[in-house]
Amino acid sequence: MVKVITKVRLINFRRYKEFEIILQPERNIIIGDNESGKSSILQAIDLVLAGSRSKVETIGLESLFNVDVVSEFLASGRDYDKMPVLKAELYLNEQHNPDLNGNNNIDGKMCDGLALICAPMDEYSAEIKVVMKEVDATFPFEYYSIKFQTFSGEPHGGFRKYLRHLLLDNSQINSEYAMREYVKSVYRSNAEDIERHKHQNEYRKHKANFRDNVLIDVNAKLDDYQFSITTNTKSNLEADLTITEDAIPIDNKGKGRQCFIKTEFVLQKRKSAHPLDVLLLEEPENHLSHSNMKRLISTIAHAEDQQMILTTHNSLICTRLDLRNAVLLNSSSSASAVLADLTPETAEFFMKAPDNNVLEFVLSARVILVEGDAEFILMEALFKQVIGEDHEKSNIHIISVGGISFKRYLEVANLLGVRTAVLRDNDGDFKKNCQEAYEGYVSDNIRVFYESDNTVRTFEISIYQNNADLCDKMFSEGKIKLSPQEYMLNNKTTAALRLLQEEAAHLTVPEYIKDAIEWIRG
Amino acid sequence: MDQRVILAVAGSGKTSFIVDSIDPRRSNLVITYTDNNYRNLRSKIIRKYGSIPAGTRIYTYFSFLYSFCLRPFCGDVCDLKGVNFDVPPDYTRRLKRSNLSHYIDSNRRIYASRIASLIFNFEIAEDVQQRIKKYFDAIYVDEVQDFAGNDFNLLLLISNSIDAVLVGDFFQHTYDTSRDGNINNGLHDDYTKYKQAFGEKGFDIDETALRKSYRCSPTTCEFVSRVLGISIDSHHDRESLFQFVDDEMLAESIFHRTHTVKLFYQSHSRYPCNSENWGASKGIDDYDSVCVVLNNSTEQLFRAGQLSKLPPITRNKLYVACTRARSELLLVPERYVKKYKR
Repeated sequence: MVKVITKVRLINFRRYKEFEIILQPERNIIIGDNESGKSSILQAIDLVLAGSRSKVETIGLESLFNVDVVSEFLASGRDYDKMPVLKAELYLNEQHNPDLNGNNNIDGKMCDGLALICAPMDEYSAEIKVVMKEVDATFPFEYYSIKFQTFSGEPHGGFRKYLRHLLLDNSQINSEYAMREYVKSVYRSNAEDIERHKHQNEYRKHKANFRDNVLIDVNAKLDDYQFSITTNTKSNLEADLTITEDAIPIDNKGKGRQCFIKTEFVLQKRKSAHPLDVLLLEEPENHLSHSNMKRLISTIAHAEDQQMILTTHNSLICTRLDLRNAVLLNSSSSASAVLADLTPETAEFFMKAPDNNVLEFVLSARVILVEGDAEFILMEALFKQVIGEDHEKSNIHIISVGGISFKRYLEVANLLGVRTAVLRDNDGDFKKNCQEAYEGYVSDNIRVFYESDNTVRTFEISIYQNNADLCDKMFSEGKIKLSPQEYMLNNKTTAALRLLQEEAAHLTVPEYIKDAIEWIRG
Repeated sequence: MDQRVILAVAGSGKTSFIVDSIDPRRSNLVITYTDNNYRNLRSKIIRKYGSIPAGTRIYTYFSFLYSFCLRPFCGDVCDLKGVNFDVPPDYTRRLKRSNLSHYIDSNRRIYASRIASLIFNFEIAEDVQQRIKKYFDAIYVDEVQDFAGNDFNLLLLISNSIDAVLVGDFFQHTYDTSRDGNINNGLHDDYTKYKQAFGEKGFDIDETALRKSYRCSPTTCEFVSRVLGISIDSHHDRESLFQFVDDEMLAESIFHRTHTVKLFYQSHSRYPCNSENWGASKGIDDYDSVCVVLNNSTEQLFRAGQLSKLPPITRNKLYVACTRARSELLLVPERYVKKYKR
């Protein structure tokens, strides 16, 4: 039976006072700015599934609790009944296991699931009240209990695992602990219980053999005290295991290779009785070269054995793995937007299209979309002309879509509410190319800007006509045989670059571009 | 649907009957009463099937009630912290049934005897029934005679929705799961009426399958039938030792015999010997030599041949105690050993 997480709900967890995200049964790509809380989600899932109190204690409640909620509590009346509670809940698909089923969740809904709850211990309420009376009191994390339970109210943790999962965090590639945890989980998901017990037992036997047969020469010279080999929690099979490629341990390989191997090894199809149910990948693009990343993407795209939840900053990863699986986290709100409603054609387009900036687009609030490189090169200067400051400062992104695939972007803009200005050449027929073509796309948030004189067919012509003197001077010298406007049309980027470098401050901005810039600032 | 009540006698193999009835391919809910029976059933199932079959779950009754029936529906809402097995304090009886303090103590533990009552009064009984239907094909209940009050009603409700095999010995009723005013009051007063309560709900009553005792000899069976008025037959014909010990010296030596267990009406732990209470010996199958200690009033009734006039619960406990014996049953007046009492 397929085991998947259908929803995650968080309360007072890290940057979220309240948060909810719906997950797809197969692939989930969580995208968002730095500090938008991508890792918080993976961490929450990892903690709840592991059901390990010591793991939570190692991280510390202080770093897990929402900072604002803690300081608000301290600034308020510090009422014991209003002490914040941290919750992380994983809603699961139907598992047909009564131990998981119940309504002990924030939704109050009968379903299967697991939760982590950190709440003040009632037994200490008297002590907490005393501590909270002190003027300079710090928050009493010490009096909080860490509890794992299922939605049926059953305690959970330790040996019994309801879902098998692995968190692969390529940003922590250097940590010895992370490496050991990784090897351990991969070993456990590859070897059967019985095999593992046998391995461990044999390993101890080998150690004993070594003591009896090899160390014997030195031990023979000793009386009461003898040398032996350690066997304990820090020194056992799982602690000593490593993974090799061509007989070289992967910890000895470069970071990039290491990341690649770790991800690929986890993803390979296995005949194990305990395949992983949920795989959490934190920024798998870390340390990878472009070509390795492409290989990795195709491996991920073909892994269908488990639910996958990955975070990324990379356009290539999120488009190639189908934008419809992407969930966008917004750093300014706790809402998440889903791109599941994109049309298949658009999702397909981004999957196949040349490397693009769709992630930048998705993560922006205001965007000017332009057709090609020439527009892109000059827009920066034109923007500064109109507004008097850089577009980055106004938090406006300029993206060249390469060609005229505006509609694909507008579909995304529509779903996410990105304010988008499109700068479109009329190509000799503004009614057809700039009005009729975008019917159904234009809205309060989306507008198309164009030259409404059909003879001004393109951006270059518009720039020329608005700056005829300047262009005539620049583009009629030296070897140039064409008329200045012809030259500009035939050498779009070269001309744009020269204009930017030599006359950026003196350009007259075409009216439609000015309109677009003013509109986008709103 | 298979709906059966099997009425058994002591030592007739109730546990084995349940173990043999289980279809390991189905989802089975097995509920036993005491921890003893739980361990017993568990080990017999493991012995027979190699392990607990994947779909089979064994619960003791109150952990089933609390963790399967109640907590999934209102664990968080009522902030439940566990079960309180004490008798609820008197004042709680006067509280309205809609008041949670009637059911839950100040430490947020629910009184075991009031879980079923809460399930009915807060209208989650149907949800519980649905939950049972969702997860199980068949229910097997041991010691069914101990279900009383709301627990009896709840048992019928959940058993009525799936296949059910309920096994018990009417005369081993020594204890009520709960007492709820007049709900099922008098259920255990009369054997015929007791059977009717199941019959009305469509259960078949089987009084033949477990009619004979494997444990008790014809000697013990004859004594129990004649003197206690509870009819019981033996599967075999080996006579066993039976003796009323009316001799202080002999009584003392029996008291000190470690291989003979002394069964007291109550407070067995105050006697420094191998001992147990009558009621608590229920479900124990590994005694060979049993010495039943008779307190004064019981001794007098015994001497007058009027043991069947004991109050039903006491008579039943004595029946439980006597039917523990395999090869030897001794009756000893308590006054002969009272000097050892601490």
